Amino acid sequence: MRALLVVGGHELRSRLRDGTAPLIALVAPIMLATLFGLALGGDDDPPLKATIGVVDLDGGEFPASVQREALNTDELKGVLTFRQYPDEAAARGAVDGGEAGAALVFPAGFSEGVGAGRGGQVSVMESPESPLAGVVARSMVDRISALVEARTLAVRASLEAGVPADRVQVFVEENGAAGPALSLVGDPVAGGRVDLAVHYGAGMAVMFAFFVVGTTARSLLTERQNGTLDRMRAAPVPLWTALVGKSAVGFGLALVSMCATWLSSVLIFGASWGDPLGVFPLLLAHVFAATAIVMLVASRAKTDAQADGYTLGVAFVFAFLGGSIVPVYNLPEWLRGVSLITPNGWVSAGLSELAGTGAGPSAVLGPIAVVTGIGVVAGALALLGFRKGRFA
Amino acid sequence: MTPALVCEGLVKRYGDKTVVDRVGFHIDEGEAYGLLGPNGAGKTTTISMLVGLLRPDEGSVRVGGIDVDEDPVAAKRLIGYVPQEIALYPELTARENLRYFGRLYGLPRRELTSRIGEVLDLVGLAGRGDDKVDTYSGGMKRRTNIAVALLHRPRLLILDEPTVGVDPQSRVAILDRVEALVGDGMSLLYTSHYMEEVERVCTRVGIIDRGRVVADGTKRELVAELGGTDRVELTLDGDVTAAADKLRVVEGVSEAVVTGSSSIRLLVAGGRHLLPALLAAVGDAGAVTGVEVVEPDLEAAFLHLTGSTLRD
Ligand SMILES: Nc1ncnc2c1ncn2[C@@H]1O[C@H](COP(=O)(O)OP(=O)(O)O)[C@@H](O)[C@H]1O
Ligand SMILES: [Mg+2]
Repeated sequence: MRALLVVGGHELRSRLRDGTAPLIALVAPIMLATLFGLALGGDDDPPLKATIGVVDLDGGEFPASVQREALNTDELKGVLTFRQYPDEAAARGAVDGGEAGAALVFPAGFSEGVGAGRGGQVSVMESPESPLAGVVARSMVDRISALVEARTLAVRASLEAGVPADRVQVFVEENGAAGPALSLVGDPVAGGRVDLAVHYGAGMAVMFAFFVVGTTARSLLTERQNGTLDRMRAAPVPLWTALVGKSAVGFGLALVSMCATWLSSVLIFGASWGDPLGVFPLLLAHVFAATAIVMLVASRAKTDAQADGYTLGVAFVFAFLGGSIVPVYNLPEWLRGVSLITPNGWVSAGLSELAGTGAGPSAVLGPIAVVTGIGVVAGALALLGFRKGRFA
Repeated sequence: MTPALVCEGLVKRYGDKTVVDRVGFHIDEGEAYGLLGPNGAGKTTTISMLVGLLRPDEGSVRVGGIDVDEDPVAAKRLIGYVPQEIALYPELTARENLRYFGRLYGLPRRELTSRIGEVLDLVGLAGRGDDKVDTYSGGMKRRTNIAVALLHRPRLLILDEPTVGVDPQSRVAILDRVEALVGDGMSLLYTSHYMEEVERVCTRVGIIDRGRVVADGTKRELVAELGGTDRVELTLDGDVTAAADKLRVVEGVSEAVVTGSSSIRLLVAGGRHLLPALLAAVGDAGAVTGVEVVEPDLEAAFLHLTGSTLRD
């Protein structure tokens, strides 16, 4: 324990002396989070508005009631505006031109198809400039799809049960699967409701955690090259002392960095990240995972420059895939699933819960568990690598 | 008395290459033992296993009676290890380096300050202790490198080629200090590919080549194995390889190796008497410009045991 403190104290002094710690842990993430927040989030788009274009080629009851329901949803009151377009081309033009943030297209015969149990499909147009509108539109489609599916099932079941075809619609509606009872409660729009200042603040904090730990990983490799690591290992302390002592400092600095970015975001933008009792454990879990992942790549590196390169690569790839730079909902569909192999993706999802819906700490137990799990796996692999590479 | 160090059957393989091959020797309490061998012989790898930095594939190490594998922390407390490469923080002063490693070795803060003064004195750096290590000359860095290992008053000092890249003056200073420490009762393991250093500092020598300790004993014992053989150093202008081939077949010559572009080393029974035969044998392969007959020494013993030279 005493030896760990000696190593840790030495590591901490080195990080402070060479100036990398304050720069990478505090100045850079806070500055970037603030700049992103000012440029893309915050006040000039108050509070959050979404205009969604509608192309109603159906003309039936379904599209009209969907819009009615959406406008009556508490979460979207004052946020959502619908604008009608005659055809897909016009809607496309409006979305591209920024007049509408997204558009929904109801194909001809949609209501009828649903009523007859044949199902139907609504398509969405999005624009990267208006992530919120995209999220709302997509969540509406999700809800519509669910409804349509339920209706279709009900209709089919009724038909099979012998209800005559011309009576099915009435029968189904009488029995509960009535019109589009669209309830757009909290959850689906959470991603959009998170203030972008929070999104970018958290994204930078999450990404820089990797860089901060990276400085320690680099110094570990430098010490191996300089022979000072072997000198520590030759001291009458367990072989892992140097490794653990240094990693602990990387962990601590990354935690300080994340909390400072969090605090700055709250102070500068007045943006809440949600219940601190949920946010802190989530950040803690992320720092643990980031430390383990960076140490894993460091354990495979031969030189300190290589360790730097690996850290940089992993941090950026994870940040991109995990939605720390570009919001996940702006990524192509097939990449969205990938975000969940990164701790970044889980932290982002967790913070959406906390900040977006005001959920309590229990809402992020899942993400915390997954992120910690990622850390445990990476950490175990790192230890194997460190043994082989004569670090521990 | 418990020996300061005993190692038995040490083996280290990298892939299918056996770098250390059943190495075993012992060092008595207060004894200075030298491991003499050319670059790549396996000295550093052996030492890494002795000090617990590297796990041997086979074999065992006991330091002061403590098994390094069973209780590495206790064993390491007895060892002062000086790595072959300078292992210091260049951006720190010597004193700061010493303070850090001293703390790591568990020296209490109060005692440490005075102890740092003592070891700086001991290696002759008392006046420069507060300068950054990267402003030091090679010799000063070497001496600081040694000082770190002395802080905790080890019973066994292990020096891995401590004079590489050092000016002659520092070299003498280092050897003097090491001899003084041994004089005060410290046990020593000294590795080098310089025969003169090992001859001067060590009472017993192990000769290591290609991962094996091929002989082990006092200098007298090793040299005695040569019988009445002398070492002859020939200097000549001409084709040294051809000359060496011709010399090798002369009656009484047991080894003939080329040591430079114009030099040949021979092991010759009854060296002096055979000189005319040697000169005749060279014949028109070259013109001999110098002959030196050297009393049997470790260099000769090495050539005798391994058929090669210490420096290549
Ligand atoms: N990590 C390693 N992997 C592969 N080969 C190694 C490794 N370390 C040392 N060797 C090889 O082992 C041999 C002995 O090296 P070393 O112990 O450093 O010799 P010495 O100290 O006597 O000069 C050399 O041929 C070297 O190339
Ligand atoms: Mg060596």
